[in-house]
Amino acid sequence: MLRLLRTFCLRGVAFLYLAAILIGPLALVFFRTFEHGFRPAWDALSTPETINAFKLTLIITAIAVPLNTIFGIACALAIVRRRFPGKGLVNAFVDLPLALSPVVVGLALFLLYGRDGWFGFLGEHGIQILFSLPAMVIATIFVSLPFVAREVVPTLREIGDEQEQAARTLGANSWQTFWRITLPAIRWAVIYGVILTAARCLGEYGAVAVVSGRLQGETETATLRVEERYESFDVAGAYAISIVLALMAVVVLVAMTAIRPKEGTT
Amino acid sequence: MSIIATGISKRFGDFVALDAVSLEVPTGSLTALLGPSGSGKSTLLRVIAGLEAPDAGEILISGEDATGIAPQKRGVGFVFQHYAAFKHMTVRDNVAFGLTIRKRPRDEIRKRVDELLELVQLQQFGHRYPAQLSGGQRQRMALARALAVEPEVLLLDEPFGALDARVRAELREWLRRLHEEVHVTTVFVTHDQEEAMEVADQIAVINRGRVEQVGAPRDLYEQPATEFVMSFVGPTTRVGGSWVRPHDLEVLLAPADGATEAMIERVIHLGFEVRVELVRADEGKIWAQLTRDQCEELELADGQIVYVRPASERVFV
Repeated sequence: MLRLLRTFCLRGVAFLYLAAILIGPLALVFFRTFEHGFRPAWDALSTPETINAFKLTLIITAIAVPLNTIFGIACALAIVRRRFPGKGLVNAFVDLPLALSPVVVGLALFLLYGRDGWFGFLGEHGIQILFSLPAMVIATIFVSLPFVAREVVPTLREIGDEQEQAARTLGANSWQTFWRITLPAIRWAVIYGVILTAARCLGEYGAVAVVSGRLQGETETATLRVEERYESFDVAGAYAISIVLALMAVVVLVAMTAIRPKEGTT
Repeated sequence: MSIIATGISKRFGDFVALDAVSLEVPTGSLTALLGPSGSGKSTLLRVIAGLEAPDAGEILISGEDATGIAPQKRGVGFVFQHYAAFKHMTVRDNVAFGLTIRKRPRDEIRKRVDELLELVQLQQFGHRYPAQLSGGQRQRMALARALAVEPEVLLLDEPFGALDARVRAELREWLRRLHEEVHVTTVFVTHDQEEAMEVADQIAVINRGRVEQVGAPRDLYEQPATEFVMSFVGPTTRVGGSWVRPHDLEVLLAPADGATEAMIERVIHLGFEVRVELVRADEGKIWAQLTRDQCEELELADGQIVYVRPASERVFV
């Protein structure tokens, strides 16, 4: 009886916590957006600046995710399968973006690519990094760097290297071994990492805010657009964009949950 | 198709796994590397396969220097203790892997895989995944996979170590028969002397990174070169500062030349074999191995005083 009570209390606390922190605010955003019907929300979303903002967010995500996937897998392979000096350092540095505030990342890029920075000379040669797509992509890549590697490392450790050795003795070179043995064995971890990376890219704000220059209709991503609308007292517009971002997150989450049960079978 | 290892050394940090090991495996033989765990036997096998690079020494396979050659170019088949099955592939695809990599025509692959599945008696299991097989079936699949590419030498690393006793006995006999059929030069690693004696026609006893003795099973048993071989290959008991096989210990009811007094502590009946545990006044416990008939004739019982004497010719001092 007491145990039953305890279970219910625990569940109640967990649910209330989630409701207060997550579900409540989200529901409120939904409510506010459609308070005056569907029309105002649609109008806010169909302005050229907003469409451009979403386009930009998707472009950045589409560049950052594949690059970080390749880097993440290579990095995980190096950490788990190879021995080299400074390995511990690499292992620690992969986690750095998780600990570092995105604003600091943005500032660091600013110092690096600014007029007086190390790579400031690029600007003199007409290569624009700051206040344009390249800087935003670099910033996003930096903040979403660890996810694939962090997912793949434990899976690689778990499967061990016997299957890979078996493939080698059967005549496979390292490339064939990777494609036919290693990648299929870690595929769910990779997909999971990709989803987390994508979610992080879509929602990135801090680092991009610093390096983008926030030019409306040019270097303004969806998250930046939300803030801009809010500051311009267009609360309905800010909510509408938020809703779309929230829906994207939901899609990503659903995809993740759909994949999870299959993880057990491989 | 012979293997010749010369002066192979390998260290892992401070641990010396192999210390200038030399070994010759004749063409078509079935050789066991026998030794306790940590003796270096698996490392030697992995060096032969190219999965481990030796610090010194060279490996010749079929007369050609293979020392610096990558494992995929050595023409070896390797079977791992824990099967190393490709979990995301069916049994068929597992067996076909080496042939697929070599881009053989599809019909040829199908035919060869059918043959091999029949050889390892897994015809009905071709479309299953490794997770749906028992341990013994997985290991037979791994063997078929290794044989598919027609390796010059077949290397097995504790192939039956992860299986239960009954399946292990079955597979031993099966490996022996397979070797008679296929005749590929085979080396297998084991820590089980009975397994080595039963399956191999040549045994190399390895201890602390060195080869103690190489020979036919019977030679090792009857003419052990070192104390270690004597005690590792077959049972031993220590009588008067030397090692004796328990079945070479004579149990007498009356005092005799060279026999010492002992008291029977326990008589254990193990079917055909009877194990007699004895205590000697001067130096503690020994045991003798008798047949059931011998034991009955002597009417041995717990607490009885008897006289024991080693049959001299097989004593190792």
